[in-house]
Amino acid sequence: MAEVKLDCMYEACPIPLLKAHKELKKMKKGDVLIMETDHTCSITNVLEWANKQGYEVDYIEVAEGEWEIYIEKE
Amino acid sequence: MSSKKIEELKKRRQIEIRKKKDQKTYALLVLALWMILLLTFIYTDYQYTSVWIIGLLIGITLQRTRFCFTAGFRDPVLVGSTSILKAIILGLIISTIGFAFIQYFAIGGKEIVIANVPGNIYPVGIHTAVGAVIFGIGMVIAGGCVSGTVMRIGEGFILQIVVMVGIIIGTILGASSFKFWDLNVIKDTKEIYLPSFVGLPLATILQIIALVGLYILADWYHKKNNIML
Amino acid sequence: MKNLEKIYKKPWPYWIGGIILGILNIFLLLFVGKSMRMSTGFLYWGSYILDKIGVDLDSWYYFSQFDDVFRNNESLINNFYTVIIIAAIIGSLFSILLASEFKVKKVKSKKQLFFGLFGGILMGYGTRIAFGCNLGAFFSAIPSLSLHGWVFGIFMFVGAYIGSKILIKFIL
Repeated sequence: MAEVKLDCMYEACPIPLLKAHKELKKMKKGDVLIMETDHTCSITNVLEWANKQGYEVDYIEVAEGEWEIYIEKE
Repeated sequence: MSSKKIEELKKRRQIEIRKKKDQKTYALLVLALWMILLLTFIYTDYQYTSVWIIGLLIGITLQRTRFCFTAGFRDPVLVGSTSILKAIILGLIISTIGFAFIQYFAIGGKEIVIANVPGNIYPVGIHTAVGAVIFGIGMVIAGGCVSGTVMRIGEGFILQIVVMVGIIIGTILGASSFKFWDLNVIKDTKEIYLPSFVGLPLATILQIIALVGLYILADWYHKKNNIML
Repeated sequence: MKNLEKIYKKPWPYWIGGIILGILNIFLLLFVGKSMRMSTGFLYWGSYILDKIGVDLDSWYYFSQFDDVFRNNESLINNFYTVIIIAAIIGSLFSILLASEFKVKKVKSKKQLFFGLFGGILMGYGTRIAFGCNLGAFFSAIPSLSLHGWVFGIFMFVGAYIGSKILIKFIL
């Protein structure tokens, strides 16, 4: 199992989602994508999208207004 | 939904995180400032008090729900998601009902004079389509529509202040070239108020049916899961 | 207490936002006589600056056509639009501070700056010729039973499609 970090700091919507989609395509089953973002919309739209794709997904707030989103490729 | 792997990663990360600062005090300070201005409006400009209260509620709702008209229109074509579009349609259905009642009491049984009907009714024509396409392109590449820009300025995005400056420049450019549009395009078009043809009650019912139909269509499209990339 | 925290910390679902905004729009029309709209406010702010630096706005066709927009004591700065825009910014700021998620987010690159500014200019221009933004020409226009709201909505999809193509090609 590999962990891939994806820096989406200061990116505007919907770039974080598109970057995650691109990165996930390259990854293997069971790998986890760790996405760093400070865009308030990401924790709703990336989560919703990942859920819809059937990926396991969760997030934590690492600082005020900064989050890490974890997406496990199925 | 969270797997074991993710739980482990979260736990590992949790240890490194420093304690976050609580910003609630600042929230209350902002609210206090809002209240001072509310009192000022009550004593000086009473007509603004309801705008001031509803405006605050709009801002809170937009931020809390991450409501983004741009995403509502962009995500269906870009990532095949229509959850925001469906929410927008839901809002439209509700306000259609409310607006219809307000318009009904304003018009009464009298003949319809469009200028006296409450709401936003403007001439429709090529200019509406051109304006909407330009607006649509702009909101997607700027990452936010007008209400989204306003909401994100409140959230602390410097980028959206730049977008706001852009909007100000754009409206000035638009107003300065308005003569061209008005004389060549808009002059020959008219407001089209749907109840003029079938009456207010029927127009309202037909519109609600159309919106419900769109909602069902959007729901079906969501499940197809398209993506542009 | 735990439930209360959930309300101001966790994002609410979109459909709740749709319902609340729909209701607030009705309240605006009922109590203020104006439905939800904002973009004209930005025009007035820009005009205020132009007026201060000595541009003769009265000679503009646009302003001579719409000179009846101001009620008794309203002006380019003191008007409905300024009040609703500032109130919405304060509401958003209050809401994010309550969740302790406020952070000043800087501009990442020149490219982001350019597209932000350019996108804003396009939006602003579009609002003038179509009589409104996503609020005035769409979210308030369709409930007003005006055809232009439907036309604006349909063609906003066309714009969003072109915009998404540009986004993937140049910004991603």
